[in-house]
Amino acid sequence: MYGRRGTQLLKELSSCETGQLPALNTDTFDEVIKECKAHSSEVQSLTGKIQEEGLDLATTRNADYFGAAIHHYSIIRNKRCLMAYMYNRAEIIQSLRWKVGRILPQEISVKLNHSEEEYFKNHSSALESYMSDLELDLTVDMVPPKDPYIKVRVLDDIGTLLLSDQSPNLARHSIHFLKRTDAEQFISQGLMEELSD
Amino acid sequence: MAHYYDINEILMEEENITSTFKVGASEVAVLDPCAETSTVEQGAKVELPFWLAQYLRSKEVVTIDVPPCFDKKTRKEVQADVACVDLRSRCPYFYELGCKIAPMIGDRTIGSFLLVAFRGRYQDILRKAHSTAFVVAPKFLTLLTKEETQLYEAAKSSMTAYKKWRVGGTRFERVPILKKRRKPND
Repeated sequence: MYGRRGTQLLKELSSCETGQLPALNTDTFDEVIKECKAHSSEVQSLTGKIQEEGLDLATTRNADYFGAAIHHYSIIRNKRCLMAYMYNRAEIIQSLRWKVGRILPQEISVKLNHSEEEYFKNHSSALESYMSDLELDLTVDMVPPKDPYIKVRVLDDIGTLLLSDQSPNLARHSIHFLKRTDAEQFISQGLMEELSD
Repeated sequence: MAHYYDINEILMEEENITSTFKVGASEVAVLDPCAETSTVEQGAKVELPFWLAQYLRSKEVVTIDVPPCFDKKTRKEVQADVACVDLRSRCPYFYELGCKIAPMIGDRTIGSFLLVAFRGRYQDILRKAHSTAFVVAPKFLTLLTKEETQLYEAAKSSMTAYKKWRVGGTRFERVPILKKRRKPND
């Protein structure tokens, strides 16, 4: 059936849990484009046939015309599927900058294709230049903290880092008292966990 | 209002509608599996996806039938016990399709039928979302349409958030997209 392959792409995207990103399905994507080309040649041959018969394209309403119309509308439908696929992926990719940070972990970046990575980088640098103009980090937690420091446990060897007020040795399983703003990005990347009192 | 890029809207439009061609159409063999030539003949009954049926209907090429999910049998089942009707297997986009198709076939009863079905099920979904245990996906989830599933998830997550707020606890969490990761050799 026409347009079915295009919707398969979207089904793949929607069957994922919200916020998860499946790998870009280039094969199906290319097949849908191929389908569009086939539709386009059908449209051309049918309109050619109408003209050969000496009929007026604008007013003829015969079987050939409706055949061409179906093919034409299938192209539009496929286009919508492909656009929606890319658009919704781009939305997720944008949100990654806010949630994960400037550097994408390996397991996510393998799911992007080249232009999507480029998009992420550009979005990231646009956001950064805006934040540096404002002199404000917009990606931190929106709720004002009761205490500027929080207790965290390190889950993975990070090593000694220079943070805003100290340079602790962040070895695995060690427990630290860090500034909230410093700890936040490590927690969202899964390298630390917050300990409740 | 529906969005051009809305995935659910696009998937909803993939639902099949039985349509009858009023005129023939050339070179569209895929549409009619019974056709011997590549032309769909006048009077042929074909299953078309909603997006194509809607378009062809506006061009007065086809007439469409009422989809089976709004037939008498379903209505009777809904009247009997609305919460137990398996709407998903009938049509995962039951309400959305109903809203779209009602003006097209000029059946005024569909609107009120949808309302009765939704009203009856809404209450049940919320009650179950608030009371069932969180560990396993309950069996009745397989009966829900896409929209109802989203409603159920929303109700569940608000309940979790409420419980979390009452108990207190950590604010920060690992980003959900990373949660799938295998734990490094612990």
